[in-house]
Amino acid sequence: MLDLIKKELKLSLHPTAPIFLLLSAMLLIPNYPYYVVFFYTTLGIFFICQNGREVNDINFMLLLPISRNDIVKARMTLAALLECAQILIAVPFAMLRNKILSAPNAAGMDANMALFGLAFIILGIFNIVFFPKYYKNPAKVGMPFILGSTAVFVFILLAEASCFILPFVKDILDTPGMANPLPKLAALLSGALICFLLTITAYKISVKNFKKIDL
Amino acid sequence: MTVLKVEDLTKDYGSFILNKVSFSMEKGRIMGFIGRNGAGKSTTLKAMFDHVHKDSGVVSFFGLDYTQNEAKIKQRVGFVGGGIDFYGRKKLSLITDVYRSFYENWDDAAYKRYMTMFSLDESKTPLKLSQGMKVKYALTLALSHHAELLVLDEPTSGLDPVSRRELLDVFLSLQKSGVSILFSTHITEDLEKCADDITYIKNGRIIASGDINAFKDAYAVVHAQAFTDQQQKFLIGVRQDKSGSSALIKAEDAGKLPLPCSKAALDDIMIHMERE
Repeated sequence: MLDLIKKELKLSLHPTAPIFLLLSAMLLIPNYPYYVVFFYTTLGIFFICQNGREVNDINFMLLLPISRNDIVKARMTLAALLECAQILIAVPFAMLRNKILSAPNAAGMDANMALFGLAFIILGIFNIVFFPKYYKNPAKVGMPFILGSTAVFVFILLAEASCFILPFVKDILDTPGMANPLPKLAALLSGALICFLLTITAYKISVKNFKKIDL
Repeated sequence: MTVLKVEDLTKDYGSFILNKVSFSMEKGRIMGFIGRNGAGKSTTLKAMFDHVHKDSGVVSFFGLDYTQNEAKIKQRVGFVGGGIDFYGRKKLSLITDVYRSFYENWDDAAYKRYMTMFSLDESKTPLKLSQGMKVKYALTLALSHHAELLVLDEPTSGLDPVSRRELLDVFLSLQKSGVSILFSTHITEDLEKCADDITYIKNGRIIASGDINAFKDAYAVVHAQAFTDQQQKFLIGVRQDKSGSSALIKAEDAGKLPLPCSKAALDDIMIHMERE
């Protein structure tokens, strides 16, 4: 497994992906739809897969003494690592934002634990839509990304709308900093669990799809 | 010892069928896999390694079924496409560094030896390598994990005559160290120079597989201004040229025709057979 991750990091990682991790700093913007930060993570994953097609990444992997499952596992592990890194890097920026700015975010969800729970769901939704479609035909990266992003933006719209419509979200979750810590922690943990389940399902379907195709 | 056995390998694309392809290869032999463009050479090689899914058939390496022992077999086999066509802008040193970590028998001393022998510079990127150098780098990677069988898909196509000859010389020296080599080509001249065996594929079917000299000796070329109806039944792939007509015949039929015969080169056999 370490060999596969080493290969992904050294040969497949597109330079934009780690640069996008730094966009976690956008949580310092006083009023901003913070979900956008996590869209950039998915954009980085798209660039890795698109670049992989141009540099014949899969052809190289096929030479190695590994199975097709490992090819999928390597790529999805890299994606999961980037997704976790984006959230981890965002945490100190969220804390800093809350320290230096007391006003709530007027452009959407506040930078708090619940935001990260929703961010996990965004990433899980991207994984379940993008990867199974991508592994049906890795030569076509554009359509899986359009579908993945559309699903992500629909969820973001719903999440934003819920900040205005649902009293629980509006009054409890969409509040600055550590106010209402338990419901926010529950939102964070639920989001992480949903993301985990969606990603594991995405992996299983992707493996199945990738096994079927001729390369 | 049989290093490779392909039995009834079938793949139906609708417009093209790889039809019950069967052949086998013994240790230490060089086998040319020959056929015109589109005959099914690359598809066969890809189906052998499950890059394309076979509809039926069995492929075994060293007596082990490929599907059941993929990783184990890949440790002992080097499959080289046209050369290195991946990670064009990464340095060879980086590609090697990643590649080596997957192989139990990686031999750094052998790697350095082949890099020096082939005059390959680790600081270069695949994009900066000529086609010949790309094939040599691919060979270096395969040989550095002590691949016992090399399978190469058209390694000589696109090479100038000098590089082609160099590569064939490399094959011959590898054979001396016990490596078995299967390479596909449509250049018959390459086979005359180094192959022990050939497998000839036409329209997805194997026409012949075995010793190259026995294959050549089984045919002869006959020449005439024009062939009679009586002679036609013995002829394979009649061709017209400036001096008259020529055709291939089975060597056993040579005595039955009162016509001048010459030995068939691989080129003749292929050109006439492809007219059928």
